[in-house]
Amino acid sequence: MKSKADKKNLTRRLAEIVGDDAVLTDEQELVVYECDAYTLQKNLPTAVVLPKSAREVAAIVRLCAELGLPIIPRGAGTSLSGAVLAVDGGVMIALTRMNRVLNVDPRNRRALVEAGCVNAWITRDAEKYGLFYAPDPSSQPACTIGGNIATNSGGPHTLKNGVTTNHVLGYEMVLPDGTVEWLGVEPDGGEEVGGYDLRGAGIGSEGMFGVVTRVLVRLTKTPPAFKTFLGVFDSVDQASQAVSDIIAAGIVPAALEMMDQLITQALEEAYQFGFPLDAGAVLIVELDGLAKGVEQQAKRVDEICRQNNASEVRLAKDATERAALWKCRKRAFGAIGRLSPNYVTQDGVVPRSKLPEIMRFIRSVSEKYELRIPNVFHAGDGNIHPLILYDERDPAQVTRALQAGDDILGKCIELGGSVTGEHGIGAEKIDFMSRQFSVDDLDAMQQLRRVFDPEKRCNPHKMFPGAKRCAEFAQKKQVAA
Amino acid sequence: MTLKPRTISELQKLLPRSRGVDAVSLDAVADLIEHVPGDMTATVQAGMRLADFQTRLAKAGQWLPVDPPNPETVTLGGLLAANLNGPRRFGCGTIRDWLIGLAVVLPDGRLIRNGGRVVKNVAGFDLCRLFVGARDTLGIVVEASFKLLPLPEAETRLAKPCESLGQAGELLDKIWASGLQPTVLDLHRIAGGPHTLVVGFAGPSADVEAQSGTANALGFAEGASLDYDASFRRVSPHFTAVAPGNLVSTLRTLNGESYVARAGNGVIYHASAESPQLPSPDLQKRVKEMFDPEGVLPG
Repeated sequence: MKSKADKKNLTRRLAEIVGDDAVLTDEQELVVYECDAYTLQKNLPTAVVLPKSAREVAAIVRLCAELGLPIIPRGAGTSLSGAVLAVDGGVMIALTRMNRVLNVDPRNRRALVEAGCVNAWITRDAEKYGLFYAPDPSSQPACTIGGNIATNSGGPHTLKNGVTTNHVLGYEMVLPDGTVEWLGVEPDGGEEVGGYDLRGAGIGSEGMFGVVTRVLVRLTKTPPAFKTFLGVFDSVDQASQAVSDIIAAGIVPAALEMMDQLITQALEEAYQFGFPLDAGAVLIVELDGLAKGVEQQAKRVDEICRQNNASEVRLAKDATERAALWKCRKRAFGAIGRLSPNYVTQDGVVPRSKLPEIMRFIRSVSEKYELRIPNVFHAGDGNIHPLILYDERDPAQVTRALQAGDDILGKCIELGGSVTGEHGIGAEKIDFMSRQFSVDDLDAMQQLRRVFDPEKRCNPHKMFPGAKRCAEFAQKKQVAA
Repeated sequence: MTLKPRTISELQKLLPRSRGVDAVSLDAVADLIEHVPGDMTATVQAGMRLADFQTRLAKAGQWLPVDPPNPETVTLGGLLAANLNGPRRFGCGTIRDWLIGLAVVLPDGRLIRNGGRVVKNVAGFDLCRLFVGARDTLGIVVEASFKLLPLPEAETRLAKPCESLGQAGELLDKIWASGLQPTVLDLHRIAGGPHTLVVGFAGPSADVEAQSGTANALGFAEGASLDYDASFRRVSPHFTAVAPGNLVSTLRTLNGESYVARAGNGVIYHASAESPQLPSPDLQKRVKEMFDPEGVLPG
């Protein structure tokens, strides 16, 4: 926005579409939207607008196309990679007022929801039919389904159930030129759709292809039987070997999660679940399915844990204890606030068989930079989440924390993995893209982007090398370099 | 024109010089690059036949959970290009659900990679999904990485010939509402025979046994074959897709025509099926223009 007059004009025209109460342009109001859960970079959008319908979204997007303004779609702002950062201003379209579950269709095992619908609300409305929505990111009580599409979100149960792209059948998207398209399976349609899989191409596109407004998700039958174990081990290596042995036995648990000692101690202090404080690693193994098969596999898992010197294998005694355990696990990041004033949550992936190697590497990084790095991760998927603790009041620590993250993600690439399993590239990991992909690989991605957004106005300055940064962050990176 | 490159780099040289290629045969590019049983992943060149790939994986007790017709002749490239699947689709999903990485030669000769060899990965846009079902019109897949599953400990299939479509529909509703978790849920009527429901169960032997017992009580008999799928679809590859809840009412309109239906997915294969309207035609056209502006590959 060049002038105050321009901004006033924008405000007026947005208000004509959505009403005065759905447009925010005062700095004090905009500050809420200056970043998401990734806080190393911050910038104010020019305006935030809160539409109530796809029609309003389309009108806003057309106005932005006319004025040549960037648009930034935003759900609940739980992104950990700066995916919804307004790097260079622009109109932020927050979907939080479009949050209804429109229809649960048990006969077709589907639900139609608005993009701002909170992930956990789908299961809440579907469970009376014995159905649930499978992807369960830890932020599921807050994060929205539209945001889940943007990052192709996972969660602890992706080992068996898959991620967002495996469970979103179709969705409505307002393209950056204001046209509205339904991509994939229609609410009353069959599962086979002709032409290119534009639905699949758009999932994980980090809000760069358009604004998702309605979503058709697949619902899954709730398994009748669960068994959830807590395996207590002296070391991460022993727990990792148990993971490998479970897989080698032909068992695919619903979830296989590991937590190291620093995490279990923090969790114990915060939630008093009853974790052992002296254990090097705790493994959560959840089996689900039909009763007899789960029973049969549970015996095997118990044996495997004991063969790998588990000092204790505890079975959640009922649904309440199981729920308490998962609540605890999913709030692990929150508990870290007790250990450190600040932390960066990293998200890397290695082949499952390389877990012991990457964990040893993280320990060496922790020693090298003199920073504590607790680990809580999806062991079954090889998806690690080292939490690098630092104090932002000490600039040298900020620098070391950034370097530590850099080293760990570099090692993930070296081991044949990826720099992100579920959080996305966003503004945070742009520099890694050219380390993980060739120039041609990145060009092909840009070709796909141009199909949807030839002007590169939709959530710009993300994912690709050469993107603009927030001024303040450029300085921090310089210190780090 | 059919291209028959001996190597990937030869394909990279051939493609940009060609126009209107009808097909690419990758018979010479057919190696298993890697199978890591502990990671439950494998990377394979696109010319390998599906059945050969499955044989290699089975040595470590694993498989790629898709079952399209004619696995002895279908290559992995062909499987991906046409998004092929079979009766186990209800329980196993489609190849889009198992693909984790691709190497593709684009029409201009560039070799690109997308995704990777790890089971969870959201770095960059997902071109993998786009290339599945693209029928070789955007680029030629030369290598693919997949997530795998352990081979089920036990597997069985049961069938029940029904007296009428109405009876089949009622039974289908019963199965849908029951605790059964079939991997196959098919309904077919071939050459004037009865409307026949087929269910399949796979997994731990205790579960398979228990579920078979429940199916027996509903009138299903063990020992059903899935051979109908390949033989029928060889002559009737076209399909009508409807929401699963509208399956029976749609089948009524077929007036006695033979069909094979994926009852859990709402896909009905039958001879008179008309090709569905292409959704989002403008976007579809832009994709093709963006990846193959010179028309090297089939339209």
